[in-house]
Amino acid sequence: MSYIIETFNLTKKYPQIKSYQEIIIHPFQKREITALDGINIRVKRGEVFGLLGPNGAGKTTLIKTLCTLLLPNEGTALVNGYDIVREEQEVKESIGYVVNDERSFYWRLTGKQNLEFFAILNNLGPNRAQRRIEEVLRLVGLETNGDKRVKDYSTGMKQKLAIARGMLSDPEVLFLDEPTRSLDPMIASSLREFIRRSIVEEGGKTVFLSTHNLAEAEDLCDRLAIIDRGEIKACGTLEEMKALLDKRKRYLIELEKPARGFIEGLKGVFPFMVKGTLPGGGIAIEVTVDERWRVSQVIEAIVGHGGKVVTCSPMGRTLEEIFSRVTSNRSSGEGVEGE
Amino acid sequence: MLYQLRKPLAFVIRDFGDAASYKLSFLMQFAGIFFSMLTFFFLSRLFGGVVVPYLQPYGGDYFSFVLIGIAFSGYIGVAQHSIAGTISSAQEMGTLEALMVTQTGIPTILFSSSLSSFVWTTLRVLVYLILGVAVFGLDMGEANIPAAALILLLSITSLGGFGIISASFIMAFKKGDPLGWVFSGLSGFLGGVIYPIEVFPGWLQKCSYLLPITHSLKGMRLALLQGYSTEALLPYILALMLFTAVMLPLSLFLFQKAVKRAKMDGSLTQY
Repeated sequence: MSYIIETFNLTKKYPQIKSYQEIIIHPFQKREITALDGINIRVKRGEVFGLLGPNGAGKTTLIKTLCTLLLPNEGTALVNGYDIVREEQEVKESIGYVVNDERSFYWRLTGKQNLEFFAILNNLGPNRAQRRIEEVLRLVGLETNGDKRVKDYSTGMKQKLAIARGMLSDPEVLFLDEPTRSLDPMIASSLREFIRRSIVEEGGKTVFLSTHNLAEAEDLCDRLAIIDRGEIKACGTLEEMKALLDKRKRYLIELEKPARGFIEGLKGVFPFMVKGTLPGGGIAIEVTVDERWRVSQVIEAIVGHGGKVVTCSPMGRTLEEIFSRVTSNRSSGEGVEGE
Repeated sequence: MLYQLRKPLAFVIRDFGDAASYKLSFLMQFAGIFFSMLTFFFLSRLFGGVVVPYLQPYGGDYFSFVLIGIAFSGYIGVAQHSIAGTISSAQEMGTLEALMVTQTGIPTILFSSSLSSFVWTTLRVLVYLILGVAVFGLDMGEANIPAAALILLLSITSLGGFGIISASFIMAFKKGDPLGWVFSGLSGFLGGVIYPIEVFPGWLQKCSYLLPITHSLKGMRLALLQGYSTEALLPYILALMLFTAVMLPLSLFLFQKAVKRAKMDGSLTQY
């Protein structure tokens, strides 16, 4: 398997600013906060890998560390086979970093002038730079706005320009830090479509993005890692996470209109929850099955109590449920590890 | 060679494009030059035909003396503040991360970021000199231009070392630059910008030679106003070379350390 990003116990700690009182009382004592705690993830070539986590979870720290903007305290990572600490220049040649700060451009210059400047800094020769600028502007749909000053761009246009800048050197991996954070839903949706189709499917690039938008992660990413308080809580495809996280399965069972006292009779036999009534008087119940109560035994029990099963279908867990479960298990250390 | 110059040139084009977009400020800078020259012209008339012995080595004319001092002292400010200024401005603007993640090394970014300030200062110096000659009767008939250009180049490299150390302080501590504060103050006081260092007592004159600006201004005045030969200017040229040889590598080393520290504590783009 070819991995384009691999991290090995990557740990990042930030020193905390001490008060004057602490400086006087404990002048040599260091106070640190752990932003990344022994991160181990592997990202495959040509996939969209999503880093999902609440604010302050360590998403931006991980991306900046992989982009060589931060140095890890312990561990290391390989990006495109290069060590982020020892081979910084080679890593920079392999990546594009889409900064999520719209101020990261020179606003009094045009979009094209900004790209020309960054193309030169990325060692593109004059002819290649011009050709590439035309290509990336077309790619992000800004070909008619290249001569406008950046100050006249909308937030969405600046975000697209940031992606164009990240793509200038035709990098193997594109890092995007919350790319749709300040975009309206329509533009966010078209940007996701653009990332999936143009960058990954047509361009063959790897995209590593962070987000706290669950729908975006579910919609866009091939694989995900859920990060919380600097620790990877779960990693894998959505399906893997669902399967690994919860051995118990939930079923929605629809019953014909039951006889009086039927529901009361089932209570105490197996755990269930009435979800609602159906047209014609039927009811729907949700049953969680495990080793003790298999679905066949549940159905037998229903039939044994005089019930008639109309349908029985497994219920899927949403990413939102997975996310809230892994991030709520902070102290227990429960998590799911994938590749 | 030309290919290598593309990066510094890109910074200059970027900065001039940005500066020229603020049209009023752009034009006012030229007006500022004219009025500061006018001030010193009338100040020099105050002394009129009085012979000031301290000015004899420089031709005896206070206006010519102070014009060179004011024009070239701009380099002190640029060397001292422009590198630190560009770093802190890039931190505030949010462009520093975008710059640091490019395939361009830190020394090139540092040098190129401040280059436009040096180019701009050189243009100001040229305007000073042209106005001085054309309007205020400055005599540069015997000027040794190649030697002056060499002294200028060495002044930039030696003063730039102090500027990079200032930028290291900004990178590491965000605010507070004790070296810049001391260096700027001492250079203005001891460097011989608006009065010759010969007015100082002997021990203070010796102290002034510890600053590159003293050698820079003295050499520049003798080259432009008195037309000294390159051989005669050698003491000043060698002194500036020595400052460059010590300060430039030291400052780059310190800056690399400051960047490493900022990358460790996560404050690279904080201000």
